Amino acid sequence: MSQHSILNPADHGALRIHTEAGAEYGDAVMACITMPAEFREVQAHYPIVLRRDAETGKLAALALFGFEAGENLFLNADKWDARYRPMAHAVQPFLIGRSAEEGAPPQVHIDMAHARISANGEGMRLFDDAGVPTPYLETIANMLGDLDYAWHESAAFFDALEAYGLVEPFSLEVTLDNGAVQSLVGFQTIHEDRLASLDGEALAALMEQGHLARIYMVLASLAQFGNLVARKNRKVLLG
Amino acid sequence: MSNAVQHIVIVGGGTAGWLSACLLAARLPGKRITLVEAPDIPTIGVGEGTWPTMRETLSAIGIPEAEFLEHCDAAFKQGSRFDGWRDGSAVDSYLHPFTAPPAAEMQALAAAWQESGQKGPFAAAVSPQHSVCAANLAPRQRTMPDYAGALNYGYHLDAAKFAALLMRHATMRLGVTHIAAKVTGIEAAANGDIAALMLHGREPLDGDLFLDCSGQAALLIKGHCRAGWVDRSDISFNDRALAMQVPVQPGSPIAAQTIGTAHEAGWLWDIGLPTRRGIGCVYASRFLSDERAEEILRGYIAAKMPGADAASLTPRKLAFATGHRDRFWIGNCLAIGLSAGFIEPLEASAIVLIELSLKALADNFPQSRASMDIHAARFNDLFRYRWDRIVEFLKLHYVPSQRTEPYWLAQRAPETIPPRLAECLALWREQPPSVWDFPRVDEMFPAASQQYVLHGMGVPVPPSGAAAPARLAEIAAKARALTAALPTARDYLDRLSAPARISA
Repeated sequence: MSQHSILNPADHGALRIHTEAGAEYGDAVMACITMPAEFREVQAHYPIVLRRDAETGKLAALALFGFEAGENLFLNADKWDARYRPMAHAVQPFLIGRSAEEGAPPQVHIDMAHARISANGEGMRLFDDAGVPTPYLETIANMLGDLDYAWHESAAFFDALEAYGLVEPFSLEVTLDNGAVQSLVGFQTIHEDRLASLDGEALAALMEQGHLARIYMVLASLAQFGNLVARKNRKVLLG
Repeated sequence: MSNAVQHIVIVGGGTAGWLSACLLAARLPGKRITLVEAPDIPTIGVGEGTWPTMRETLSAIGIPEAEFLEHCDAAFKQGSRFDGWRDGSAVDSYLHPFTAPPAAEMQALAAAWQESGQKGPFAAAVSPQHSVCAANLAPRQRTMPDYAGALNYGYHLDAAKFAALLMRHATMRLGVTHIAAKVTGIEAAANGDIAALMLHGREPLDGDLFLDCSGQAALLIKGHCRAGWVDRSDISFNDRALAMQVPVQPGSPIAAQTIGTAHEAGWLWDIGLPTRRGIGCVYASRFLSDERAEEILRGYIAAKMPGADAASLTPRKLAFATGHRDRFWIGNCLAIGLSAGFIEPLEASAIVLIELSLKALADNFPQSRASMDIHAARFNDLFRYRWDRIVEFLKLHYVPSQRTEPYWLAQRAPETIPPRLAECLALWREQPPSVWDFPRVDEMFPAASQQYVLHGMGVPVPPSGAAAPARLAEIAAKARALTAALPTARDYLDRLSAPARISA
């Protein structure tokens, strides 16, 4: 159950946040949402897949960390074995909030029920004794700003994919070293044949809007499935 | 080989004796080690501050850090703060932190601080540890490996509990033999060496190398070896201390550094442990009566620990002679600890000298009696050098003072200042302290330590070429990041009481 509040030094002056990786801090997840703006970094570590919301039909992109619910093959005790974590995961337990007022600036919210909220005196302070944000909070606030911007501009990317019919269902079935079959269903990816058949005008438009490179980032990220399978095999082997 | 050095006999069971037993047993496997102590002698137990060297020592001995912290009621020490030494005013305070920038960088930072018009305390400008100490934070996070930290640190500890922990560790885990018996005499060999110790109600105990850890009694080094005494009270005047241990409120902040507060004829120490503060008044008996010293001690406690019930406590009075042996190692007898020498605990030199003596011994352990005299001569040279530097460095804390009480005027009378220190002070008006002043590999107080005290006491930084103002901003940023990341010492230490407590 989450419990959101607006971050402020009066209520959160002495609050500390656990910043290390760990299943106990909510890192045991198989995927997290990722923004087109960060595809360049994400594709260097994780497969990127698309998913269509069952109710609204809207597309979103996910970075995959594992094959089944609760499985994060990048999590090794208290280490996250990759140099980059998608922003939406890295900002936890913070969120962007907006007041009802039109055009109001975004605020930093915090989920006080999140496992990263420290209760043992260890962890990173958000404010110093004078109530000034710490460098950690400054970093988080910057990342939230980036995430907010990236989220808003992502709509145009997904609209373009739909407009050019570049989305197709994706399923994956791999046989692990021990003979077990691992499958992923219910995701979407880039329709590569459709992409190859786009005419020059369409490609020029996609490039001009900044979408083309990101489309190829998604395609390139599929090569990370090989690494993900290798991680899975290693995990199975080590028990 | 008939003259192989195989059996090490340690006399005395205080911090020096048990630290020697543990460290030599760990460093020299295969040697036989016996510690003999009189059953009825209480330990002095005033050495309650260590240097960062203690982390390496404990790690070498094989005691996990959490076990040490918990069993010795220990806290982290990140340096020493000196209050009231410059002029005694309310804002008169400076820190000598354990973390220093690299030597080359220190000069550029000091120059930048001077150019900035001495903005803020010197230590705060050059080391992020200043902010961490001011906020009473621990130097490490619990998830860090044992004995590692974000900043350099040592410990404050309960000396009696420390000796007890070391004794258990030495006898139960390291195979040291413990004999509780009074030494009644010494059986000399033909060459003047100690052949055996006569013990009350027991067979004589023979050995190849004897460590005198018998404290001020100096049973072997003075009693048998007739080592001379080099009196240093002409430079270092203090010869008395009144010590008290005041219980603290649960949850109260634990200071990150030793606090040394100057008074009219000496200074007070204040060492914060999780359950108590050890507070002592150090003074020179020729300038201050015992009664006045107790008044000062009680006044300090009333001011600094309002609500503490000190009225029911009686201070313990200690009298000490300042000085050291003319030789620490004679024949097959080596003095370690108070038997070697003593000086006021202004920079916690007592325990670190034990560690340095043991390091010198273990790194250069004589394999036979034949090489022992060569090792002894080198050891004596090195530790005479070290004592000279300690005496000078402690004196440096007094000389730049502007306090006007008779004691403080006497402290800076030219005839009480060692010539080498006077020379250095003259040079340091023109050039900063450097390795040219402190050329040994293992200097106890390198140039950075001298600079912390000098500029803390208000001596200006001499003009120099390369200032690095941009680095000052980086240090300030580092300080902000560290104060956000480190837990308070109180939180860290209170949560130690783990279920994995080993039985006593």
